[in-house]
Amino acid sequence: MPSAATSEIVEGIVIEEGASLWGDALRRLAKNRLALFGLITLSAIAFVALITPAIAPYPYDAQDLEYGAQSPNAEHWLGTDRLGRDLLSRLMYGGRISLMVGFAATAVSLLVGVLYGAAAGYFGGRLDSFMMRIVDIMYALPFTIFVIILMVFFGKNIILLFLAIGAVEWLTMARIVRGQVRSLKEKEFVEAAVAMGLPSHTILTRHLIPNALGPIIVYATLTIPNVMLLEAFLSFLGLGVQAPMSSWGLLIREGQEQMEEFPWLLIYPSIALSLTLFSLNFLGDGLRDALDPRASKD
Amino acid sequence: MKRISDVPKICILLAGCLAIAGCGGEPGADGMIIRIGNGTEPEGLDPHIVTGVPEHHILLALFEGLVRADTTDLSPTPGVAETWEESDDKRVYTFHLRADAKWSNGDPLTSKDFLYAWERILTPALASEYAYLLFPMKNAQAFNEGSIGDFAQVGAEALDDQTLRVTLENPTPYFLSLQTHYSWYPVHQGTIEAFGAKEDRISKWTRAGNLVGNGPYVLSRWSPNEIIETIPNEHYWDVAGIQNDGIHFYPITDGQTEEHMFRNGEIHITYGVPISKVPVYQAKNPEQLRIDPWIGTYFYRFNTLRPPLDDPRVRQALAMALDRDTLCERVLQAGEMPAPFLTPPDINGYLPSARVRYDVDAARKLLAEAGYPNGEGFRTVDILYSTREKNRIIAEAIQQMWKKSLGIDVTLSNQDWKVYLSTTSNAVMGYDIAAGGWIGDVIDPINFLECFITDGGNNRTGWGNEAYDELLAKTMAIGDTAERNSVFDQAETILIEEMPIIPIYHYTHPFLIDPRVRGYTSNLIGYYAYHQLRLDNAASGEL
Repeated sequence: MPSAATSEIVEGIVIEEGASLWGDALRRLAKNRLALFGLITLSAIAFVALITPAIAPYPYDAQDLEYGAQSPNAEHWLGTDRLGRDLLSRLMYGGRISLMVGFAATAVSLLVGVLYGAAAGYFGGRLDSFMMRIVDIMYALPFTIFVIILMVFFGKNIILLFLAIGAVEWLTMARIVRGQVRSLKEKEFVEAAVAMGLPSHTILTRHLIPNALGPIIVYATLTIPNVMLLEAFLSFLGLGVQAPMSSWGLLIREGQEQMEEFPWLLIYPSIALSLTLFSLNFLGDGLRDALDPRASKD
Repeated sequence: MKRISDVPKICILLAGCLAIAGCGGEPGADGMIIRIGNGTEPEGLDPHIVTGVPEHHILLALFEGLVRADTTDLSPTPGVAETWEESDDKRVYTFHLRADAKWSNGDPLTSKDFLYAWERILTPALASEYAYLLFPMKNAQAFNEGSIGDFAQVGAEALDDQTLRVTLENPTPYFLSLQTHYSWYPVHQGTIEAFGAKEDRISKWTRAGNLVGNGPYVLSRWSPNEIIETIPNEHYWDVAGIQNDGIHFYPITDGQTEEHMFRNGEIHITYGVPISKVPVYQAKNPEQLRIDPWIGTYFYRFNTLRPPLDDPRVRQALAMALDRDTLCERVLQAGEMPAPFLTPPDINGYLPSARVRYDVDAARKLLAEAGYPNGEGFRTVDILYSTREKNRIIAEAIQQMWKKSLGIDVTLSNQDWKVYLSTTSNAVMGYDIAAGGWIGDVIDPINFLECFITDGGNNRTGWGNEAYDELLAKTMAIGDTAERNSVFDQAETILIEEMPIIPIYHYTHPFLIDPRVRGYTSNLIGYYAYHQLRLDNAASGEL
């Protein structure tokens, strides 16, 4: 036994150096059925969003007041709204916006939050206190007012919407990463890295962040739905997506107002959003397991 | 470092204490309170400053004019004045005030209070939007425009504490009805001047606890965006006639929320009904839905100072590309009538002859003449509306009509009621196209047409036309209804040719009402007698 165990350990080290974290992760992810389902569904939704202008049955803003709100039928597969606009087309175009806002704002929050949190946690001391107080102050700002100020100063613009939402969402991310990094930096492998004379940024990016990926990914998958709902809220205030363009959040909000009269206006956008969020959660769950460097090497 | 991090905890503790204290102060059972949805947070409660319907609803409870109106037929009934006489030439009115008329703080209410109020609203420095409603009074216009500096020359005179004489410029058939409008209400000098100068537009005198009024109710609590509570005024002359224990107004902007609250029994009378709920109530609970007539017009104002909207041809083109019939029939669905002109039809037998046609081809031609063939070169214009679902639906429909038929791009933006009012004010004019509406204050065509006199407080378009002003001034001196109407018609023709506004539809007043509410009568101008409202709880068993 001792000899076999030794060989396994040696083999393990070889794998760790040879295969990248990502290669490893992909292999593990492929074994997770739910995660795979999530990945495929998401890709399909993203693909549809990408080619929407080519395949949407109607323009998103074509209205027919005479036609009005009709339940799903052969002409309009998902029915129409009060202004006689085709729900399927609006759902497809709205998906583009929702996905774009969801992913772009989350990317902003990931980028800023992870780097900021990791730096604060790693360097500690006064710098940490200072950086975290800034986060506290930002937390204290009411989000709506913050975004409204941004919008008033810079005008209504969808790119700005991504930035504004991202700029608020990174705060929690920064705290989570900071906590992770603070506990990780006491670990032996970090000490070893320091002893080997690696520069701080390498230690941060190569050793600390990959080890904190689990919570980061879970939180990111939670951020995306959050952001999509925020976008709906802002659009309702007239600060986000501009009519006649729509987004899933906005469609759901409008549908909910009329759910007794025209239930299809609520049901289909909700299905689209839920499906996306489920897929994201499955995928996030799977990714967390797959990316955890401490997970068994089975 | 430590001390800094302790701060938030203390804050949280404090906030917690406040929250608990706040809950403790909430009253339990509250007698027979009538709860009314009020559409939005009022701009204010100073009768000389505000202009809107939500404010009107609350001021009706807090103040009272010389004359009230019968809520059914709007004929004058005694208010602060017990009796009044009209001179033979109909130019002089003498009002005899009640000897027991009092302010809500117990101060006697005298004819001097009316003089003070009228002087205040006409003071040029106050810049009251509604000052023009007092212009039938002799020299009121001159005083308001600053050409007379002495209020004694204005046709209002206190013969003694109980007798008030008003001299008019010309016989004004609707003069007594004007007394039901808040621009003519008395205000309490002591209170106003305790909290600021007479001509301060922003003052604390209207806060709960400060405000002294003379209506059937007293303001007891004003929690912005939450509730406005009133309790019966024990000094009101007809205090015995008050049938309930208070009126609460809920400033709910969202029609859905309001409808939910109504369904939960939290509100007895709503401000409106969400468009899509009208057919549902018609089918399922017709006894809770009422669609009352309302004398008013919904229209879009143009900012005529901004190109390209400064060109009447452009304004005409936009107006002609708007399909009012389909909008009313298919989108609004609460019996609204398409409005091809401003003044609602058949006020005192007046039916405007000028009409906006729905004619897309002619609209395209006009736009091309103005230099924008197929909308080329036309900048993106913005439609501004105050936050309400109905406004949004209408704007979205119109946005698409213009895009489709004229090829112009339109963006939409919405603002909170107070912000909207200031953005569209004559002083700011910070919009391109703004959704607006006008509900008659008195039943007379002049009330609609005089909104758009040059620099009028409710004009808000930057538009002015001398011929138009002159025609309206001319109507003041005409006694004969038919002749007066023909002059109105000439004025309205100018308005429709110049098109500073696009008339869209004539209002109806759809709202929900708890079947237990008794004493609610509706009328064309929304003049309510809240003190007659009560709940018939015997009927509650059926619900």
